[in-house]
Amino acid sequence: MSRFFSGLRDGVGFDILLVGAALLFLLALAGAPLVYNVLMSFQQVDMFTLGALFRPFVGVDNYVAVVQQPEFWLVTRNTLVFVFGSMAGQFVLGFALALFFAQNFPGASTIRGLFLVSWVMPGLVVGGIWSFILAGDYGVLNVILKALGIIDANVFWKSDPNFSIWAVIIANIWLGLAFNMLLLSVGLAAISRDLYEAAELDGANAFQRFWTITMPMMRPTIGAVLSLGLIGTLQQFDLFPALTEGGPANTSNVAGYWSWQLSFQLYDFAKGATVSVMMFLLVLVASVVYVRSTRHEVRG
Amino acid sequence: MTAQIEMRDIQKHYGSFHALKGISLTIDKGSFVALVGPSGCGKSTLLRSIAGLETITSGTLQIAGKTMTGVPPRHRDIAMVFQSYALYPHMTVEENLTYSLRLHGVGKADARQKAAEVAATTGLTSLLGRYPRQLSGGQRQRVAMGRAIIRNPKAFLFDEPLSNLDASLRVQMRKEIRALHDRLGATSVYVTHDQIEAMTMADWVVVMRDGLIEQQGRPLDLYDKPVNRFVAGFIGSPAMNFLPGHIAETGNAVMLADGAGTLPLDRGLQPGREVIVGVRPEHLDVVGDAATFHLEIGVVESTGSATYLTSPDGNFQLVQSERTSLASGDRIGLRIDPTKIHLFDPQSGIAL
Repeated sequence: MSRFFSGLRDGVGFDILLVGAALLFLLALAGAPLVYNVLMSFQQVDMFTLGALFRPFVGVDNYVAVVQQPEFWLVTRNTLVFVFGSMAGQFVLGFALALFFAQNFPGASTIRGLFLVSWVMPGLVVGGIWSFILAGDYGVLNVILKALGIIDANVFWKSDPNFSIWAVIIANIWLGLAFNMLLLSVGLAAISRDLYEAAELDGANAFQRFWTITMPMMRPTIGAVLSLGLIGTLQQFDLFPALTEGGPANTSNVAGYWSWQLSFQLYDFAKGATVSVMMFLLVLVASVVYVRSTRHEVRG
Repeated sequence: MTAQIEMRDIQKHYGSFHALKGISLTIDKGSFVALVGPSGCGKSTLLRSIAGLETITSGTLQIAGKTMTGVPPRHRDIAMVFQSYALYPHMTVEENLTYSLRLHGVGKADARQKAAEVAATTGLTSLLGRYPRQLSGGQRQRVAMGRAIIRNPKAFLFDEPLSNLDASLRVQMRKEIRALHDRLGATSVYVTHDQIEAMTMADWVVVMRDGLIEQQGRPLDLYDKPVNRFVAGFIGSPAMNFLPGHIAETGNAVMLADGAGTLPLDRGLQPGREVIVGVRPEHLDVVGDAATFHLEIGVVESTGSATYLTSPDGNFQLVQSERTSLASGDRIGLRIDPTKIHLFDPQSGIAL
């Protein structure tokens, strides 16, 4: 016991305790479910074996079955459209806003702070609000677009197969915009004003300063924002039940939501697990890119 | 001499703060001008105004005969060395050097050739492939200089470029910058708060305070003939001593306050007039009999080459080039050459 307390004082032992607690937490709540999920994707899971850990091993049968599902390619395509559409929208608008608020006009930081509202809001609430905005017959977006003369007839954003995925993308861009802007703002603020002044004296115009100073200096931040954006978009769930439930006819269904449907609506846990393992591999690639991009920081 | 930079009644306001209160200054082509003064005197603001990084509120600024109103920094053709060096961290030394050339469309081979030449002048040849983070403070300083030289600009602006270096490197870089200036025949404006840098490097020193020019002139003229008490106290190290007193009835001597003694003058003034006497620490001689005033010693500091004697209240200091056996508590007799005595008006501080 006295050794334990001396461990508290000199840091030896106590530090191991602290690290151990965190590690245990990670293993129990992230590591074990992950392994269990991967294991399940190689097993035959039905209502009778649901409680067992060791079930009949089926090799890659689940993977083959998932790929052979009629909606697989549609969901894959939707997932790609959703991920790249959301990320592009979040990043481009977020970067534009970050640059705008970096101009330091009066009230810039206050207004920038207000944008965080979208980040604080639960996804289900955001989905609910956008559900009203995007409503085909009474939605405010249609009213605006009609008043501007952009459309003649109402667009049924959520129920038209051509637009349903875009309805979720629009809501998701709004949801992730503040997070992107915030991270990019921090990156911009970290670039010393001296560099811009030196570049200006060296003869660079605003456009050249952006491409030769801002962009290269922002590389680590951009890498982080895009990687986190990819992860955040892949795990986006709340907006789907609130807006389209993946419909109509899976035209707005994506891998994450599909995996949930397979597991918890159809109780086909093996296929649900298989889809999520496929997604996990994608996120793993993104994480490697993220870690590598932060390792190559060139500040200072 | 033709004027390279001409300033007439330049004013700068930051909101309610009046940073520059009417600066008129002519900087000759090929000269090395130092702007010196305490922090907040406006010297950096003036330099940044020349660069165009600050917009002046009123007045005119001309560079090489052209009025610069509304001309952005990139079209002024001047180079600046920043206190932080402001090297581009994501570029190698060579890319840092050639950045401005590349912006101006100079070919890759020409730019490389030019970078090699500049690197040879600044001693960077072996470092061209390195990134700024891999360089020492002195090397970064050289890159910042090289980046300025490579463009052959109309003027070089230096914003306290040596303040981040250690003392010995600072002395060395002082000489290198001056030598470079002479070799290039460039026009240089150098901002510093260190009057020794200003005195040793510049042909022309401009002393500023509170947004105004207090005095400008050749370095030794400022040392010999300061126009007011501020310049007298600012130029010279250790700083000039100031003692209150009044003119004796004869009109050609000063009676020091508290009966500390009498100082004969080489000029006549109105008897009874209150004055502030300024004497430089290095102009005082310790003498036995011929002493005209006396001082009690508080602290004795010796650097080997010189001995610094300070009064117990710390307000009076003198420098002796010989070693002494004096100790704290000793009372010494002092004498000063009448031609080296400065007199100032107690109210206005103006030299009499």
